Amino acid sequence: MKSSWLIIGLIFASGAIVAVMILMYILPLDFSESSPVQPILFSHKLHAGVNGISCRYCHRHVTDSRLAGIPSVADCRSCHLYISAEAPQIKKLMDYWDKREPIPWVRVHTLPDHVYFPHMMHIRARIDCSTCHGQVAAMEQVTRTASLKMGWCLGCHRQHKASIDCWTCHI
Amino acid sequence: MKRRTFLQLSGMTAASALLAGCQSKNEKLIPYLIPPDEGVTPGRASYYASSCSFCPAGCGILVRVSEGRAKKIEGNPEHPVNRGRLCARGQALLQELYHPDRVQQPLKRSGARGSGEFRKISWAEGLSLLTAKLKELQREHATDGLAMLTPQLSGALSTLVSTFMRSFGSPRHLSCELLAADWLRLAGRQSFGQPGLPFYDLAETRYLLSFGADFVESHLSPVQYGNAFGRMRQGRDTVRGHFTYVGGRMSLTGASADRWMPARPGSEGALALGMARLILDESLFDKAALAANGLRPETVLGRLQAYDLPHVAELTGLAQEMIAEVAREFATTRPSLAMAGEAVAFQTNGPESVRAIQLLNLLAGNLNRPGGVYPAGSIVGSLAGPENSFAALLALVESMRTGRIKLALIKGDPRYGTPPATGFQQALDQVPFIVSFSTLLDDTALQADLILPDHAGLESWGDVVPLAGSRHMVYGLMQPVVTPLHDTRQFPDVLLAVASGLGGTLAAALPHKSCLEFIKGTISKRVGGHKKGRNFETQWVELLRRGGQFDTDKEFGKGYRWAAASQLPDPARPRFAGDEKLFPLHLQVYSSTSFHDGRGAPLPWLQQLPDPISTAVWDSWIEINPKTAASLGISHGDLVEVASPRGVLRLPAVIYPGIRPDLVAIPLGQGHRGGGRYANDRGVNPLELLAMVEGSEQQAAWNATRVRLTRISAKGELVTAGHPQGSYRSDLIGI
Repeated sequence: MKSSWLIIGLIFASGAIVAVMILMYILPLDFSESSPVQPILFSHKLHAGVNGISCRYCHRHVTDSRLAGIPSVADCRSCHLYISAEAPQIKKLMDYWDKREPIPWVRVHTLPDHVYFPHMMHIRARIDCSTCHGQVAAMEQVTRTASLKMGWCLGCHRQHKASIDCWTCHI
Repeated sequence: MKRRTFLQLSGMTAASALLAGCQSKNEKLIPYLIPPDEGVTPGRASYYASSCSFCPAGCGILVRVSEGRAKKIEGNPEHPVNRGRLCARGQALLQELYHPDRVQQPLKRSGARGSGEFRKISWAEGLSLLTAKLKELQREHATDGLAMLTPQLSGALSTLVSTFMRSFGSPRHLSCELLAADWLRLAGRQSFGQPGLPFYDLAETRYLLSFGADFVESHLSPVQYGNAFGRMRQGRDTVRGHFTYVGGRMSLTGASADRWMPARPGSEGALALGMARLILDESLFDKAALAANGLRPETVLGRLQAYDLPHVAELTGLAQEMIAEVAREFATTRPSLAMAGEAVAFQTNGPESVRAIQLLNLLAGNLNRPGGVYPAGSIVGSLAGPENSFAALLALVESMRTGRIKLALIKGDPRYGTPPATGFQQALDQVPFIVSFSTLLDDTALQADLILPDHAGLESWGDVVPLAGSRHMVYGLMQPVVTPLHDTRQFPDVLLAVASGLGGTLAAALPHKSCLEFIKGTISKRVGGHKKGRNFETQWVELLRRGGQFDTDKEFGKGYRWAAASQLPDPARPRFAGDEKLFPLHLQVYSSTSFHDGRGAPLPWLQQLPDPISTAVWDSWIEINPKTAASLGISHGDLVEVASPRGVLRLPAVIYPGIRPDLVAIPLGQGHRGGGRYANDRGVNPLELLAMVEGSEQQAAWNATRVRLTRISAKGELVTAGHPQGSYRSDLIGI
């Protein structure tokens, strides 16, 4: 009698744990630092891969600024007024526009404040975007593929005979 | 820690860790909703040249602006006053712009006066309210019932305000600041016949003698003189200039000196004359200089008979040998330079003491020469500024008290920055309608009936004539570096709007549409832009790019000599408020490195900046000599009560060996009632202690009050940033 209760209890407990895990998997909760869920399920695969839009069409400051820049909500809207305006994710985009709120994108590639990383210098040195950002054109959801640790930076700097002086990045 | 608390804490930690785990720790990337059309590149900064509006020194600044936000302020390397340097107060100007408690739109009082209850109104309503009040005065033919209170303005704004008042028909424009250099202008007129401020050529001098002039922290143009002091010490290969500091309290400037002469408060003038007599006695003076200034050594020596060495030593409390040695060094080292400062000037015999120091410069031949002093080295003429705004203040207090003032327009915070002994605060309460132009709800704004908030300095147009920081004609420009954050308007724009609303002579005198137009008009006249064949717009853009007009080839006059009609200085015995037996100690109030006269207190960076002497932060303190403290049983950090004939304050004690045993000192700047969350109810305002000295009521004598100390408890709660006796206790700050 007692052991059967115990078994039923165990089954219930493990069932509950499995249920919670399934729920966690299904719900768009953000557990991962390297591949966070974005507020709008924007597909780089569709834009950059299938439609072949150049990275610089949206990230237009990459050649002249430290930052690559992300498109403003108005930029997204100007295309999507005409392109797949009925898709649920586009509706979400238009909601942001109607509420006059910017989209709170989650940052995937980040460096600490004590690192000076200028995009424009790397573009000028003809380093391909994918060297650091991976094959974004094949990603539904952007995932960080490189470690972005100092050793990884230095490896590439050595390979390209770029300066590895401390002051190059830590200014 | 109790078991229960431990369990509670660990439970809370676990719960918060669980909650935090459900969200990505990644930062957010917030895009623009609509991209700015000016071609802003994210991550790329622009730099704008402007002028610092914090203190009258008017240093040139470069502001780094990134994505339309001002991020960092540095000195403008092309500006002749500060040469690329900037003090902490200038750097903190950013926080004036971003202050969380700024007045964001016009306010009208809704509760009782001083309750701090205001109703938000529109600009149209605010302006029509002010215009109606002014029209009422015009209708009743009582235009002199309008009073205007401003800090000491310079440039176009000064012209605008005086034109406004003159055209309206009121003579009551008071430009008054606690630490204004009126005393120096007055002494200049009496000795040299002109009220300009002197320029000291500190960098080239070989022997500097400062009588209480704290030029490193606050005197006239601190960035200019701090930098020049560095060049005097280290800028020449063969000479390291010598520096002697005279003053009862060793300030930061005093601590940089080679020799400290702690003269008794009020005896500095006698000391200068004692030195002068010795120089004449021993024929060490510059004969040519004396002749050029129309003075005969015998007459001067005859007048200085009373200042023999033993007598001066007794008056000052200094050793005879020390006085004689410094006097000889001063006279024989050429060029030498003597400066007079606020600690000397704000005594009852201040103006005469300052003139005694000027005489010392004359005897050593330091006038109008490199490494010396140029008495007219700065602005002269109508731009020079008032010579005794304190007397004007008292006159205004009297007319406010008797109810003759019906409307007061106030820029700045005189309610905080005026000693209550003048009766200003009570008199101001008699004024039926007060308009404040403050950016924060400061002490004055809290009492106002209408607040028409000004822009922050970084949002404003303006022009600045730097005070006493250069021998050349320097004219700095201020330009807005960011779009105004709130619904505020510039003070001059409000005046122009009101003038056009009133019509008549006022609108005719001030037909300008905006402050910018007014300033452009002023500058156009200056650079000759109205002449044919010159494109003023091109010149204007170039002036804005550089930060102003710096004519380094045009120097001010060298011709000023000792005025023939001028009497030789004769400082009387200083008088003090308070009986010597009841109040045994002298009180000195001094300009703090962070707050100047109190205007820096609302900015948290300046509150957090440790005082270079006591390392105290976020508070007031009183400096006491160890001997005095021991005799009263006071130790470092104790709470003490300071009583003067005028008032009583409680504040923590700092035991400081660099102060005379008969002197205590409190920094200015704390103890605001308003001024936003970082300033209000923090520390004490030492101005509340100051009393008027009988017989010299018409004179600003802020260092002539005597006080008494009593120890209250050991809990002074002094927060310091690294004192061996008390670690940094940030829990006491409460922000």
